[in-house]
Amino acid sequence: MKIAAVFILAWAPLGAQEIKLPARLEKLAAKAEESVNITLDGTTLRLAARFLSDKDSEEARVKKAISGLESVSVHSYQFARDGEYDPADVNGLRAQLASPAWSRILGVKSTASQEDMDVYFKIDGKGQLAGVVIISAEPRGLIIVTIAGTLDLEQLADLGGQFHIPEMDLAGLGKGRKDVK
Amino acid sequence: MSARLLALFLAASGSLWGAGREFDQIVKAIESHYGVRRAHIPLMGVANLVTKAARPAGTSGFKLAIFEDLNRRQDDDAPAEMDEFMVRLGAGGAARGLTPLVQAHSRPDGVATYIFTGEIGHSTRVLIATFERYQATVIEVQVPMNVLLQLLQSPGHAAQMFGVGNERDER
Repeated sequence: MKIAAVFILAWAPLGAQEIKLPARLEKLAAKAEESVNITLDGTTLRLAARFLSDKDSEEARVKKAISGLESVSVHSYQFARDGEYDPADVNGLRAQLASPAWSRILGVKSTASQEDMDVYFKIDGKGQLAGVVIISAEPRGLIIVTIAGTLDLEQLADLGGQFHIPEMDLAGLGKGRKDVK
Repeated sequence: MSARLLALFLAASGSLWGAGREFDQIVKAIESHYGVRRAHIPLMGVANLVTKAARPAGTSGFKLAIFEDLNRRQDDDAPAEMDEFMVRLGAGGAARGLTPLVQAHSRPDGVATYIFTGEIGHSTRVLIATFERYQATVIEVQVPMNVLLQLLQSPGHAAQMFGVGNERDER
């Protein structure tokens, strides 16, 4: 099944620019055949990290990945047919990412799967990763994820496959890696 | 009656919501909204023992309410309508310790699933409300962390994880 995904991973400290999901994207659930929205706030993430096991490899991986996050929000939509969502629906989101604070650090276009994935990073004044937005789209789906907090590329890669966040090949960025389940 | 009215009812009953009575409040809200009563489950204790085997290890405190013959209208249960109701529900609950975690919709099946959690811990209280076209279930259960992660991975099958709602409406 084809899935188009829009991922917004924004870990932004207080005062940092926030990414808002455009209203037209939020209405896509009515058109989608399947939709899933997951929201994990800072309290939930911190507590989850505290109680996740270090002994269980899967839990340990998640624990490490979420330990510095303030929030995670995933919006995933799958459609029955091509063209049931307008790629322009994502433009409002991309417009927010056009600000100088954000940099598009990864863009993947797959002709075979017709999947587009874009990863945007936000770097704070101290040179630390302060936000990430990932937009991945296929003809029959859309997913949106928002994360706030701090993590490195390896942790970002480890988040792939969790909470409906797609797996990402960040090897090209030098520090990340792809875990294949 | 729209989901908005259901939300109003829940808002009005907010004083009860969150006092450890979320399960009962949701049950009452659904009964009021759809004009139905929760189905009586004969020998619930025995059923609990039987279905316990189907539940993930480490779960406890299982509560279940099933509603039949809901006769939900499709326009009454549009995702936005249902989400609005559940967001208000979550907002009331969150103030007292419940946090909305997941909303999942399956249009072909007409199924909407909502998952809320209490304070995360070694064992976390989870409330799962599943609405099908003619049936709804509300589950409250304490789950260990690994089960909570499983719920996040497959929220659309949350009720089935506890041996509930395996069959789909065929009407």
